[in-house]
Amino acid sequence: MLRRFRLEEPETIAEASELLSRFGESAKVYAGGTELLLAMKEGLVQYERLINIKKLQNLREAKADDGMISIGALCTHHELETSPVLRHKLPALHRLEQNVANVRVRQAGTLGGNLCFAEPHADPGTLLTALGATMVAEKASGRREISAEDFFVDAYETSLQGDELLTEIRIAAPEEHFRSAYLKFGYLERPSVGVAVAFKLNGGGLTDVKIAVGCAGPSPRRVREAEALLNGKSKEEAQRSLAQAGQVAGRASQAISDLHGSQDYKEHIVGVLLKRAFQSAAG
Amino acid sequence: MGKAMRRHSAAQLIPLSFTLNGRLQEIEVEPHELLLDVVRDQLGLTGVKRSCDVQVCGACTLLVDGRPVSACTTLAFEVRDRSVLTIEGLAEDGKLHPLQEAFIEHGGFQCGFCTPGMILAAKALLDENPAPSEAELKHFMHGNICRCTGYKKIIESIMAAAKEMRSEA
Amino acid sequence: MQFKKEVEIRAPREQVWNFIWDVDRFIACVPGCKEAKTIEAGKKYAATMVEKVGPFKVEFPTSIEVLERDELNHIKAQASGADNKIGSRMKIDLDVHLRDQNGNTVVGFVANVDILGKLAALGHGIIKRKADQVLDEFAQAVKQRLEGNS
Repeated sequence: MLRRFRLEEPETIAEASELLSRFGESAKVYAGGTELLLAMKEGLVQYERLINIKKLQNLREAKADDGMISIGALCTHHELETSPVLRHKLPALHRLEQNVANVRVRQAGTLGGNLCFAEPHADPGTLLTALGATMVAEKASGRREISAEDFFVDAYETSLQGDELLTEIRIAAPEEHFRSAYLKFGYLERPSVGVAVAFKLNGGGLTDVKIAVGCAGPSPRRVREAEALLNGKSKEEAQRSLAQAGQVAGRASQAISDLHGSQDYKEHIVGVLLKRAFQSAAG
Repeated sequence: MGKAMRRHSAAQLIPLSFTLNGRLQEIEVEPHELLLDVVRDQLGLTGVKRSCDVQVCGACTLLVDGRPVSACTTLAFEVRDRSVLTIEGLAEDGKLHPLQEAFIEHGGFQCGFCTPGMILAAKALLDENPAPSEAELKHFMHGNICRCTGYKKIIESIMAAAKEMRSEA
Repeated sequence: MQFKKEVEIRAPREQVWNFIWDVDRFIACVPGCKEAKTIEAGKKYAATMVEKVGPFKVEFPTSIEVLERDELNHIKAQASGADNKIGSRMKIDLDVHLRDQNGNTVVGFVANVDILGKLAALGHGIIKRKADQVLDEFAQAVKQRLEGNS
């Protein structure tokens, strides 16, 4: 049983933001509830009010628009795994969404909620970081864009302010020769290690390499040191540097020993996934 | 049919009008009430089970507008103006659904605890994809856990039902 | 969970030792610790520990007991508390050693931290990282206080 709370159902972003401002920490944004309700059931958090934002308009579409792909924060994982826009333009994200949790979580859970709850053992944040996505944060007085890298601050902590809502995730529409892949590993209910790669492979040369690791540490992070080992190289040269890049990425993953595995093991898996993700993307 | 819920005097009541197994229901719920508890306790349909309570096992699977949800982690008011299907609503006029027939014929259950959720999830799968490959079936059913059967018979049951449903169609 | 920390402070041993027993100034160095009270000077203290990880907040009314005291050298203490709202208990066994090094004082401490109850559901990793962070901040705060106010 959940503790009793009051339900608010704002119809505009301004209204929602104003409610958050007014009620502060005693209120929480509620969309799919797939993380929030679990934490409430466990008694780890309690709120006097839940602010149901599912009545907000125009936050539930994935579209390609003028060189940008825009994903509404209220899109459920199921909507994204069946989105033709994602399937054609961002196949790596499309495949990721097909594999989030299970069919019931995908039915109710939203991408926005997943990102805002910032649970370390999650998938989308890592790939969005490697894709150079930006998050759009809105409140009554305006909107701002936050890079994915800057969005994730720590475990369960984003850079959203108390009265801000995440409304949109924007990704530059990939150009020709763009490749990306995300791989995860885990044997518990949630993934233990996740690695995303993205790059341009043009005439045998790699440019714009982005590598992100997640799940092993408190939040997804880019690993520029590992990127530098592959950037500007030919595919074959890069392949020879994968082992070293994997070690660098593993150390940068901030892995610690816990039930998901020892630090050594996780760092090792980061290297394995980096290699496989690269091969999968490079073809 | 179900017990009356004791309401706090200052409770916020949300009118909940929805279709349950094809019939219109009009009740009132408080925001914090979970769909699982309303269906079991208030509406008396106990086929849906509370098991892990963290939406990992699938024993609480219900279909809302044909799509599987975890009733243990769904707030009851979310089904307003929607249609809800429980295992009790699957058979029509006493005639079992092909999935129910197949599970019986192929031994798709032992203790039966996961079975209502398993069958409803399978129904959602087959409604979406009438001819799934085994890989597609496993992917869809990944979130429904069974401790008894080892899954082989469940897969056989679902595939058999799919074949039956395709030939009836 | 065990944590080992060492911090070198540019201050003589006696000053560091006295600082430790100056309850209000000392408690001010512990992140999230407030309302320190002396129950029995040198032996029993009480405080409230407030820690936050994202939306998860705990408030532990904590009792601290000094178990051993070797003047200017070593302290052994135990802190324990319970947050009934969240259903969790915390226990810390602390060993603090002081020694001289190059005219400075090195404070080494070993903390054995146990978190029991619902909070443990957050995951060993998160708690370990948070505890590590708190102890780091604490060590740095002690260092700054002693070096800054000479």
